[in-house]
Amino acid sequence: MARHPDNDLIPYLRGELPPAERERVARHLEECPDCKQDAEVLRDLLGNLAHAMGQPPGVSWGRYRAELSEKLDARRRQIGWRRRPMPLALSASLAGVLLLVAVWGGREISKRGDPIGPDEVVIGQEFGLLQDLHTVERLDLLEDLEVLRNLDGLASEHQS
Amino acid sequence: MEPADEALCERVARRDEAAFELLVSRYQERAYRLAWSILRNAEDARDVSQEAFIRLYETAGTFRGRSKFSTWFYRILVNLCLDHKRKHKWWKLWVRDDDEDRAETILDRQPAPVNDPVDKLSREATLKALGSAIDRLAPRQRAAVLLRVQEDMATYDIARVLKCSEATVRVHLHRALATLKKTVEKR
Repeated sequence: MARHPDNDLIPYLRGELPPAERERVARHLEECPDCKQDAEVLRDLLGNLAHAMGQPPGVSWGRYRAELSEKLDARRRQIGWRRRPMPLALSASLAGVLLLVAVWGGREISKRGDPIGPDEVVIGQEFGLLQDLHTVERLDLLEDLEVLRNLDGLASEHQS
Repeated sequence: MEPADEALCERVARRDEAAFELLVSRYQERAYRLAWSILRNAEDARDVSQEAFIRLYETAGTFRGRSKFSTWFYRILVNLCLDHKRKHKWWKLWVRDDDEDRAETILDRQPAPVNDPVDKLSREATLKALGSAIDRLAPRQRAAVLLRVQEDMATYDIARVLKCSEATVRVHLHRALATLKKTVEKR
């Protein structure tokens, strides 16, 4: 005898099985009294279950829909608040704080200057620039025409 | 001619309030009854079924029409019920028996008219035992049984609601009914 069609009995009783499977289960039930009895018990059980589950306590549907409407409105407000642009005062304050941080941070960074890398040290030694670091640091003075004109005088003053 | 659920859902996706109202009125009783059958608590069933409608409103645009609207909606509802049960499992064990509505409704059940009072009592007792046994089923088994018996859903649709294979649904149903059968046989 083929295997017992336990899991197929309920779909069989509901007429859901495709023809070939249905035929197989029907044939089995004819040959197997246990499964046939099982199928009959299941049929009765399925019929009784609807009664056994009972009915829920009554609900006022008008009130139910009113509550639903309130909950939906609350959800919409919640979503709307999340999507709403920030109030003007808050946006302006935030922009101000960001500007301050940017300016202050920029000044700190410019004070620190760029660190001298090992490559730059090698090149500097080759050209003797680091030996006169204080002059190199003041190269921006060369932009001043007066300084350029008196460059020799400045050098002699520095030596004395 | 009444508009189909699927057409109404498309309109809900475009934020058509009238279509939403119509869907709610069509499904409110079934949604509440199914939620109550799983949760066994009227207040929870009301809250969870209302939440299912809110989710329907919010996600109507994701309904692609690959399944029936009812299957898609029941999937939302059953998932919410199972989540609710999972979250409240330990709390309810600690605080109270979640069977509080059952006591009032057990006598309100509608057995078939039987003239013999002894038969009637016996039948009521059997139905009561059966009802309690349904409550003790594993949540997914119980959901499968409820969808089959209350909503008369086919195995294919139950599988889509529970997001599992048809074979799994058959196993759930078989095991659940085997358990219930034992309850009846004991009496």
